[in-house]
Amino acid sequence: MKRIVPFVLALVLLLPSSVFAADLVVAQAANFMPAMKEIIPAFKAKTGLTVQATYTSTGKLYGQIINGAPFDVFLAADQRRPDALFAKGLCEKPFVYAKGQVVLWTKNKALCEMGWIKALQDPSISKIAIANTETAPYGTSAMNALKSAGLWDKMESELVYGQSIAQVFQFASTGAADVGLCAFSSVFTDEGKKGCYTVVDLAPPVIQAACLLKKSTHAETAAQFIEFLGSDEVKAIKKKYGYK
Amino acid sequence: MELEPFYLSAKLAFWTMLIIPFIAAPIACMLAFGRFAGKSAVDALVSLPMVLPPTVLGFWLLVIMGPQGTLGMLWENVTGQRLVFSFTGILLASLVFNLPFAVQPLRAAFEKLDHRLLESASILGLSRTQAFVRVIIPNSLGGLAASSILVFAHSLGEFGVILMVGGSIPGETKVASVAIFEAVEALRFDDAFLMSAALVPVSFLVLVLINRINRRR
Amino acid sequence: MAKTSTLSVAVQKSLDHYDLDVDFTCEAGSLTAVVGPSGAGKTTLIRIIAGLERPDSGQVCLGDTCWTDTDSGVFLHARKRKLGLVFQEYTLFPHLNVRKNVAFAASDQDRVDRLMSLFGISHLADKRPSAISGGERQRAAFCQALARDPVLLLLDEPFSALDAGTRRSLRSELKDIKSELDIPVLHVTHDLEEAEYLGDSILAVDHGHVSPDWFSGQMCSLRSMHSSIYQGSSL
Repeated sequence: MKRIVPFVLALVLLLPSSVFAADLVVAQAANFMPAMKEIIPAFKAKTGLTVQATYTSTGKLYGQIINGAPFDVFLAADQRRPDALFAKGLCEKPFVYAKGQVVLWTKNKALCEMGWIKALQDPSISKIAIANTETAPYGTSAMNALKSAGLWDKMESELVYGQSIAQVFQFASTGAADVGLCAFSSVFTDEGKKGCYTVVDLAPPVIQAACLLKKSTHAETAAQFIEFLGSDEVKAIKKKYGYK
Repeated sequence: MELEPFYLSAKLAFWTMLIIPFIAAPIACMLAFGRFAGKSAVDALVSLPMVLPPTVLGFWLLVIMGPQGTLGMLWENVTGQRLVFSFTGILLASLVFNLPFAVQPLRAAFEKLDHRLLESASILGLSRTQAFVRVIIPNSLGGLAASSILVFAHSLGEFGVILMVGGSIPGETKVASVAIFEAVEALRFDDAFLMSAALVPVSFLVLVLINRINRRR
Repeated sequence: MAKTSTLSVAVQKSLDHYDLDVDFTCEAGSLTAVVGPSGAGKTTLIRIIAGLERPDSGQVCLGDTCWTDTDSGVFLHARKRKLGLVFQEYTLFPHLNVRKNVAFAASDQDRVDRLMSLFGISHLADKRPSAISGGERQRAAFCQALARDPVLLLLDEPFSALDAGTRRSLRSELKDIKSELDIPVLHVTHDLEEAEYLGDSILAVDHGHVSPDWFSGQMCSLRSMHSSIYQGSSL
């Protein structure tokens, strides 16, 4: 018995990976995960094709792709990274697949009723969670909103920085931060429903772009998937999660 | 290249190293010499931070130190400040995270002591606390040194837990390891490389020191 | 507590291979040598008297005061018994010099000085235990034990780790001062000649029991062995 196990293990590891592979592998920015988790089965129902997705921050995915990670399609949280790949000749021309929105989310219901500007200035607030303004598009958008409202200088001392939009939400939902400047999609999660939100209207929409990677060996399937992303069915799913 | 994160990392490592012996030594003593029910439970509890993934540990610390957590509420009542996202908060996290690394070398040093020394102390009229201060500690200086240096080095490299409870606030909780991570995320690879290069000689020096102390013992 | 008190011990304890059951007394100013083969329970006995271990049943009393009494539930911790104890080694603290070791728990500095000159180690005051010889270390250990003016002196094979010459000189020094001490002294040894030389009375312990027959048997064969050696060398 002891000798069979390593043998079987070796066999499994040595088998050509295509035996287990999905028809398409996509790199997806984490904030879009709830929506993508509905889109993938819908695509399978329609075409019979399986899509495998990796969900993590845009920055990490970008880093993996320029180092040769075998993805077929890259769906980022911004336009900058797909544009950078295009400029490097690593992908086809990027297209916009979703537009996200920054919201103020908190467990304190009273704050939502005030509107985001008044809420941020409320004396009961001492910590505001925001995504890293340098690397996270939602952070940059939130920062722009604060600057437009003339609040940036005042509020800067109360800001705490999450490494990702997910961490920002975590700070807010555990109560460590009083409010979080989160992605609209987070309010539709189970945790998100425990709090309330108000749309940060001055935050520029977060334009999320995607592109087909040149290294892809499943160009046809990818094209089908990309076409599907523009369909009415996907539009409805996106709307459900706060994307336009 | 920012210098402030290095100052913060050094400050964190220094204070951790200074405070942790006062917590670790009594625990190590209890584990080395004590015979009581629940000793293995205490042992397991102390080793827990070493085994738990940093993100898990960090998450629990976030909850406990947050404004609705036991520790967080206590702190806010006493000082009026929030414990998370503060230097004190990451220092506390650092103490928890480093505890097993401080306790183990100390415990090993204590266990190496001949029991007759302690019995001598007892016969000569010393209480347990007096024996601890006048006999055990002076004869375990090698273990104390190794423990302190290990904790210092470990704190310098700490990342996961600090990330979870720190909030990466420049000048307060944005330590070198976090700054390097953010530089990589922002594709500022040159900065990341420079900052990492600065940490390597420090870690190397620390390891050399530990080796020399261990050899002398 | 009056200095001239008698130590009385009557204890029983169940050990790994046998049961310890010992009953004896030792008067102030006298030295009782405790002999027996290794593993006979001598060290356990000393530890029980010192209060480092508890017996299953019995009493350890000095004069009218009982330190251990299982019937009435009395147990006085070792640190409160005001004893002197000298181990075979590791009695002295390695991190202190000789003087600090001797004076470790003593309050009377004159007594410390007197003891050190009595045992001939005054010139070693600033040295660490690791820098002096085994014999000098044991002398220092004696001083440390006596510096507190103890009411009982327990010696657990204090000379066993020393070479024959040093053992002989320390032995005779001990014999000289023991009557001055005016306290009961228990001296554990596996050396029968030492026991005979030093002991005002001998407690032979074999397999946990007091066994005078064992002792006489041993002494007999020892003497006959010696006589055959001497006979051999005179040829």
